[in-house]
Amino acid sequence: MKQYMYFIAAALVVAFAPQEYVFANDRCLECHLTAGDKPSELFKHDIHSQKGITCAACHGGNANAEDMEQAMDKKAGFHGVPKGDDISKTCSACHSSPEKMKSFGSSLPTNQWEFLQTSVHAKLTLQGKEHIVQCITCHTAHGIVSVKNPSSPVYPLNVVKTCTRCHANIPLMRSYNPSLPVDQLEKYRTSIHGMLNAKGDAKTAECASCHGSHDIRSAKDVKSKVYASNLPGTCSTCHSNVDYMKQYKIPTDQYQKYSKSVHGIALLQKHDQGAPACNSCHGNHGAMPPGVESISKVCGTCHALNADLFSSSPHKKAFDDRKLPECETCHSNHEIIAATSQLLGVAPDAVCRKCHSESQNLAGYKAAKSMRIAIDTLESEERHAKVLVEEAEQKGMEVSEAKFKLKDIRQARLQSRTMVHAFNESKFKEVVDNGLKTANEVIQESQTSIHEYFFRRIGLGISTIILSILAVSLYVYVRRLEKKTKDRNG
Amino acid sequence: MNSFLKRIYRWIDERVEIEGLVNYMGKKYVPVHRHSVWYYFGGVSLFLFIIQVVTGILLLLYYKSGEELAFESINFIMSKVQFGWLIRSIHSWTANLFILSAMIHMFSVYFEKAYRKPREITWVTGMLMLFLLLGFGFSGYLLPWNELAFFATKVGTDIAGVVPVIGKPMLTFLRGGEEVTGATLSRFFGFHVAVLPGLFTVLLGIHLLLVQRQGMSEPLHITEKSERKSMPFFPNFILRDLTLWLLVLNLLAILAVFFPWELGKKADAFAPAPVGIKPEWYFLFMFQTLKYIPGRLWFLDGEVLGILLFALAGVLWTMVPFWDQKSSRGEQNRLVNYLGLFAVLYIILFTIIGWLA
Repeated sequence: MKQYMYFIAAALVVAFAPQEYVFANDRCLECHLTAGDKPSELFKHDIHSQKGITCAACHGGNANAEDMEQAMDKKAGFHGVPKGDDISKTCSACHSSPEKMKSFGSSLPTNQWEFLQTSVHAKLTLQGKEHIVQCITCHTAHGIVSVKNPSSPVYPLNVVKTCTRCHANIPLMRSYNPSLPVDQLEKYRTSIHGMLNAKGDAKTAECASCHGSHDIRSAKDVKSKVYASNLPGTCSTCHSNVDYMKQYKIPTDQYQKYSKSVHGIALLQKHDQGAPACNSCHGNHGAMPPGVESISKVCGTCHALNADLFSSSPHKKAFDDRKLPECETCHSNHEIIAATSQLLGVAPDAVCRKCHSESQNLAGYKAAKSMRIAIDTLESEERHAKVLVEEAEQKGMEVSEAKFKLKDIRQARLQSRTMVHAFNESKFKEVVDNGLKTANEVIQESQTSIHEYFFRRIGLGISTIILSILAVSLYVYVRRLEKKTKDRNG
Repeated sequence: MNSFLKRIYRWIDERVEIEGLVNYMGKKYVPVHRHSVWYYFGGVSLFLFIIQVVTGILLLLYYKSGEELAFESINFIMSKVQFGWLIRSIHSWTANLFILSAMIHMFSVYFEKAYRKPREITWVTGMLMLFLLLGFGFSGYLLPWNELAFFATKVGTDIAGVVPVIGKPMLTFLRGGEEVTGATLSRFFGFHVAVLPGLFTVLLGIHLLLVQRQGMSEPLHITEKSERKSMPFFPNFILRDLTLWLLVLNLLAILAVFFPWELGKKADAFAPAPVGIKPEWYFLFMFQTLKYIPGRLWFLDGEVLGILLFALAGVLWTMVPFWDQKSSRGEQNRLVNYLGLFAVLYIILFTIIGWLA
């Protein structure tokens, strides 16, 4: 305890002492500066040096000793330049100690070393002796400055360059993760984030904003900030912050809308990792809102058939002429709800009404109305078939084939929804008719099963009556026979 | 009508001389006493056997053996064939009632000491038929090739495989290889519809012939001639039998309609075994016993010991007419009664425990 008190007192003296005084006490620096070596020149401006931390803090030895032999005496703890993991251990000796950091008046977190060890960078190097990344890999060794200092390699405007020193290095990345792209910087520079960053906007997202700093994990790691189900939350850190986004004049309700959308529910509530997150439509490193004409292409990466049908439909040209965003016009963008038949037709909640009415585009109006009736009929028949199959099954009848056919009806219904995007009434009805045909078969089979159930019970009733009458008659006959024999025998 | 029947009778008699047989039947009497009711279980078992033969033949018209066809063909029988569901359900229910009825028949004969001289062969053929019946049950259970049957057969044949010396070859013979596969199904089908019925029919023929030849056994306690009552075998006993058969048929129809035998899921060798897999109820007491025997007992494997004990018990039980000399002399043998009582209670208790487990 006493030692700590001395240490704190010494640190306070150092912190508030004039600059000359601090240097005056670091004999190592004095000497090395005289020798004109680069590390000491850099260390002069290093934040550690400015806090009074001497070379001995990392290299060991006695920084107060006048004599070089004494200063670099192994007995005094001198160990020279730390190698491998010893580098990060040297840093963490102070940076992982809340007491020490407090004594230097620092409010920095003290879990960087802990985080670094859990990160993807904690893997061993090819030689297998040390971790891939040490503290100095990003922060440098002797010229360390505050992260808020624009000259810091981890300052938002520089961090991209710092990361790409390795991540754009093809041979290096090939040695560790050949499947990882190395063009992130190129893509980033084409993104809104990258362009603003290049213009000197330190607020825009850079590598660390999305991937984290010390705790960077593989994108496939469920704890990663960019893991599919975590990504919307990561983007929303900035994009849902009204104050932060104020100067960019873009909406901040995307996350709120997305989380209520069919995609958001699938990803965030149902944990379907294949469901689209922000980057699925906007890209990740090259993040950019898709253009009006490319929306169907973006949606089409998953909804391929719908996109193809739309592209060859009469609506394609009509939408292009009116500069309407393709999928978005009917389905919206962030708040895409599960598409139901309600969207189709001319009812007040149908989207076709936006362009088609009795007075405007009548042919389309009629087609939309007729298509809605067709799909409503299919849905109603499907429900009817399902109810009958359930009833037959509850009665213990064998309905496995009918149950299998129910899947065909569902498939036809889903197919018809896709076929809507062809905006061709006859093609649409062809699919619906297939579903209706199967529905009728299921209805008939189920009804037959239900009739069969009652037939079995009636049959059982009749056979029971017949068998019982026969049994009773036989019994009576035998009794009579026995009585007759008894009477005869006296 | 009567003259028409008489003409038919005369026509047959002129050719096969059945007059003697009819006269013999007319003179045959069945003893009447307070335990006469147990005589009917022999007839009920015979009736159930006839049903099994008839429904089995009907099922054969549509059943296809083979890994890819068995399950589908039963499904077809149950859903597409007219009254196929009824035939299959009756066949399955009858199989169970048949074993139950045969067991009751066997125990009634045992407790009445009806196996005593001169009916030793009748008893032995009866016991052999009971073992064959269990074989019918075991082989027939696999034929629908569903999940439960597949794993029950796996467990059942595994148990047979631990028998010393003959276990391993027996397992390979039963399965047609190392594992339960389509080859096992083919074999079990062969056993079920050819081997077992053939053997059973021969034994049944001897059994019935002996019953007819020797007549029904009387209990030991009836010694005085004055105490003896009887009824004509034909038509009185036959008609009473027939009455009971009608009631059994009625019961079968009710069971088939209200509790149709389910088909379950198709067997999948790669699927995990369903939880709590159990054999059919008539094997349950043995299965449950094996569970309670420690893994190692003295120098023997617990399971092996259990199987050997059951085999020994089966042999001793079958040989009871030969070691129970007291009963043959017309004396009471309490030890046999106690052993029988123990066996009945043991089977009931362990079946219930196995069922609830």
